[in-house]
Amino acid sequence: MSHEKFLTTEIRRRTLLASMAAVGASATFGTGKAFAQEPEKPAEIIVRAWGGSWVDSLKAGVSDSFTKATGIAVRHDLTEDNEIQPKVWAAVAQNRVPPIHINWDTTTNATKSALRGVTEDLSDLPNLKNTTELAKPVGLDGYPIVNTYGYVYVLAYRPSAFPNGAPKSWKDLLDPKLKGRIALYNDGIGFHFPAQVAGGGKLEDIPGNMQPAWDFIRQIKAQEPLLGEDPDFTTWFQKGEIDAACTISTNAREARKNGIELAWVVPEEGAKFDTDGLWIPKGLPENELYWAKQYINHALTKEAQQVWLDGLGLPGVVPGLTPPADLVGDPSYPTTEEDFKHLIRISSKTQVENESQWFGKFKEIMQG
Amino acid sequence: MRKSRVAYPLTWRVMDGLEGLAARLWPARFEKGLPYLMLAPAVLLVGILVLGLVQIGDSSLRVLDTSTFLMSEDLTLANYHRALTESFFATVAGRSLLGSVIVTIVTLIFAFPYAYLMVRTPSSALRKLLLVALFLPFFIGQVVRAYGWLIILGNQGMVNEALGLVGVAPMRLLYNYPAVLFGLVQYMLPFAVLMLAPALTAIPAELESAASSLGANWLRTFRHVVLPLARPGLVGAGLVVVTLSLTDFAIPAILGGGTQDFIANAIYDQFFRTSDQGMGATLSLMLVAVGSLLVGLVFMLFGAGTLAMTGERK
Repeated sequence: MSHEKFLTTEIRRRTLLASMAAVGASATFGTGKAFAQEPEKPAEIIVRAWGGSWVDSLKAGVSDSFTKATGIAVRHDLTEDNEIQPKVWAAVAQNRVPPIHINWDTTTNATKSALRGVTEDLSDLPNLKNTTELAKPVGLDGYPIVNTYGYVYVLAYRPSAFPNGAPKSWKDLLDPKLKGRIALYNDGIGFHFPAQVAGGGKLEDIPGNMQPAWDFIRQIKAQEPLLGEDPDFTTWFQKGEIDAACTISTNAREARKNGIELAWVVPEEGAKFDTDGLWIPKGLPENELYWAKQYINHALTKEAQQVWLDGLGLPGVVPGLTPPADLVGDPSYPTTEEDFKHLIRISSKTQVENESQWFGKFKEIMQG
Repeated sequence: MRKSRVAYPLTWRVMDGLEGLAARLWPARFEKGLPYLMLAPAVLLVGILVLGLVQIGDSSLRVLDTSTFLMSEDLTLANYHRALTESFFATVAGRSLLGSVIVTIVTLIFAFPYAYLMVRTPSSALRKLLLVALFLPFFIGQVVRAYGWLIILGNQGMVNEALGLVGVAPMRLLYNYPAVLFGLVQYMLPFAVLMLAPALTAIPAELESAASSLGANWLRTFRHVVLPLARPGLVGAGLVVVTLSLTDFAIPAILGGGTQDFIANAIYDQFFRTSDQGMGATLSLMLVAVGSLLVGLVFMLFGAGTLAMTGERK
């Protein structure tokens, strides 16, 4: 089946009517009033989320205020993003109601679902008109996903392990004293692109020639890095297992909030910038689809974004948000064009099409 | 004369009624079919497993199209070619196989004296203590136990703190191959003891006494009497430990620090990280094939041990 066929699904009359109702109702959303044509409210909507400070922030910023405004309870499903994906795909393929209403997902993962044709179109959300370009998924038609914030894979470090000052380059991780004391994501995510630069290559060569990245990752392998996922980084810093890591700034900030001496930088080669988003799987009853869309629309309001992203310490997609006090001028919270010059952004489409190969290569090096 | 109610109690009448009902539902002429009827649940279970394997087999012959994230319509052996030629899969498979063999040998070495003591001790208090110590880990899941080792063996864990008291600097005890093997041995020990204990119980203690009275020392008795007679237990325990170790996921994931994957971890990655169900299915089938071959080889060389269905000593 062709890619285009998935992304240009014919709009059904009922969907169109529901969407029009959504646009109308959104004008009054938040005032407690309801349009006469509002579909029946479900008892709850289920939002898949990441645990820890991630879900706490979502709850404080979006879910609680959504419940207050609509009376609909929000249940957070903490199933791993990678594990919910095949369940949703299977449900859609078998014409079953999917297990969640909204998936909070990485844009790369969400793009896979969009390419497979299991996402609802979100182009009709009224609050999209107030968002920046960042909200629009690159390389996809319409809005099968709405990006809700960006994040940076920084070089987080323990200052006491760098007595001569903050690391300036990813190559500083090759210092022999850091052997066994550094960590990366277990699929190498966030590290491939800066490794390409640190290895002497060019970003323009991605994905055609990534040999410089693999050469640099081989050097890093000799440093015996630990490989893990988001919660591992915070734990490893807290337990004194590592001194430096390539991780999302939110994890480093969380460890610092817990009293761990920690700082982070965007090294001279740059750091990967990416986005997360929200999407709705196909197959929901019309009324539940309507309210799921309302939830995402609400997540795009300035008020919801401010509270949600204060918790995560990440830049949102609505102009005029105030950075948290501890992140003003921080390279992990880019706000200006100048800030973005130091960050590496590769389209989700390129990432999705090559991710499996990159992942395999990274594993081959690290497991060897 | 009126019949005594006591002579034919109510429970007997109920039993008669039930027997009558059973005779009507399953007449005597059907008796020959009874064994087949009892086989039905097993056939159903195996049938479902076979259906699943057929489905997995079909998936393994399809490759992922990364422009649509759907499996290909055409059937191909490309996934098998990848699995057999890419060095990553060979590394992980080799690590899993070697690990499961090492874990099996070490576990049996530790389990044997434990089971022997548990069976032979004249002290019921000691036997109870050993039984409690054996069953206690079953109440604690594998993941929790692995996290327990993180606390004990971590850089700031109990072992390193103890070493620090005698002036030894903290050392990395986790996130390497020996840590994974250690975790697996600890996890497998109760399984092995449970498989060994019945085999050791079946060895008459008088045989050991006889050997001793004929002048054999403890070592000769152990080598020529206990060990040969315990072979069914060793084979059964070995089979259970080797297959569980070969297919383990949690211990390598938690104690390996991301760099000591076993085959199950690679399968998980294919299904859930790269969304490549075809490759995941291929690795799953190959794991089933390797595990079955391994078990078949042991059956051929040593018999089925306590897993044998005949009840004969092999």
